[in-house]
Amino acid sequence: MQQEISKEEIAAVYPKVAQIIADALGLETVDVKPAAPLIEELGAESIDFLDLVFRLERAFGVKIPRGKIVEDARGDLGESDFEQKGVLTEVGNKRLREFLSEVPAERFKTPMKSADIPKLFTPETFCKVVIRAQRAAQAAA
Amino acid sequence: MAERFSAFSFVDRITSLEPGVRAAGRYWVPGAIAQFPPSLVAEAVGQLAAWASMSQLNFRFRPVAGLAGEALFMRDAAPGQTLDLEVAIERCDEEAISYGGAASVSGARILTLKDCVGPMLPMEEFDAPEAVRADFDVLRGAGAPAGRFQGVSPREVAVIERVPGERLRAELRVPEAAPFFGDHFPRRPVFPGTLLLDTQIGLAVQLAGEAAPLRDAGVLAPVRVSDVKMRAFISPGQVLELRLELQSATPKGATISITARANGKPVSTGRADIAPRRPS
Repeated sequence: MQQEISKEEIAAVYPKVAQIIADALGLETVDVKPAAPLIEELGAESIDFLDLVFRLERAFGVKIPRGKIVEDARGDLGESDFEQKGVLTEVGNKRLREFLSEVPAERFKTPMKSADIPKLFTPETFCKVVIRAQRAAQAAA
Repeated sequence: MAERFSAFSFVDRITSLEPGVRAAGRYWVPGAIAQFPPSLVAEAVGQLAAWASMSQLNFRFRPVAGLAGEALFMRDAAPGQTLDLEVAIERCDEEAISYGGAASVSGARILTLKDCVGPMLPMEEFDAPEAVRADFDVLRGAGAPAGRFQGVSPREVAVIERVPGERLRAELRVPEAAPFFGDHFPRRPVFPGTLLLDTQIGLAVQLAGEAAPLRDAGVLAPVRVSDVKMRAFISPGQVLELRLELQSATPKGATISITARANGKPVSTGRADIAPRRPS
């Protein structure tokens, strides 16, 4: 089980993450709010997520492997226990809600397509991605 | 197809290759063409990175233009010169390649590329994997015949709105047919992002020249483009609206935001720095 991420840890990385998101999306930093969905409110597209991940890797000196958020959300669940035919299972949906605890419950659909998971991501989601990557780097050191 | 591996190919030989780490290559700029713009020097470096990544992924994927964090232009490449190309690969997997690189002429750096990312897509959509592998073998062996590139026709651009020294809007009509579409790419013609960039740089030079601090600065040239992001493929015949806005200008140079839109949505964004040409 992964160690919880505290609000203090998120607050510590947030200003830099928000600046990076603003740069990647061509926005002012004030337009980036911690809970704003990146796709629906901030206008992010798939190329922006790629841009964002590379910018975060460079800025924080960490590695963020491809598909890391979904992989971490799935945790020790088998792939078919997490999703089937592109749709999250009931258990998978529950895991995702727990993992993306920063996202309000009403934004999770039932059933939910795996392809729609990025619609849930917020700046806070990426703060948590950075913190987990920093922990992984420290653990590997 | 006659255009394949010729009409828009800017690596003649791959001289060294360390998979997933670095590559070096050469390109001879044909002596018969009128000019070889800086954006095509960047294209040559990007193509070397593409070859390195395609071979690493066993020709199942190919990268397409995505992000260019920064391109610094030091000098132009003249027809007849040989470009020494190099790339350093930061990461390469089935999602993307990220790399930096450079081009030099006779040991002098003319271009530096930093923080570039090319998203990977299935090769089958763009070209026959076996044909690409065969081309790669040619580049790793004796090399491709030099002088295959015949130049590109000037693009059809009409200015829609001009506020001198402040902003400019223009319409770019992408041709329905052109030799480069046969090479970029054989199975799916895409208007090259570097040709769009070349068009935008030309307009940015005009706009910078109208800004008060640079009006008497002599010949202007691009020195840097940054944060270039290609958001969508541009197809033959598509009409693009190009928007350029001056962000700042001093006697040392101007920074201009460059955006291309299609059907009301941005297809590419970036910034260009234009400055008085340095004596060579």
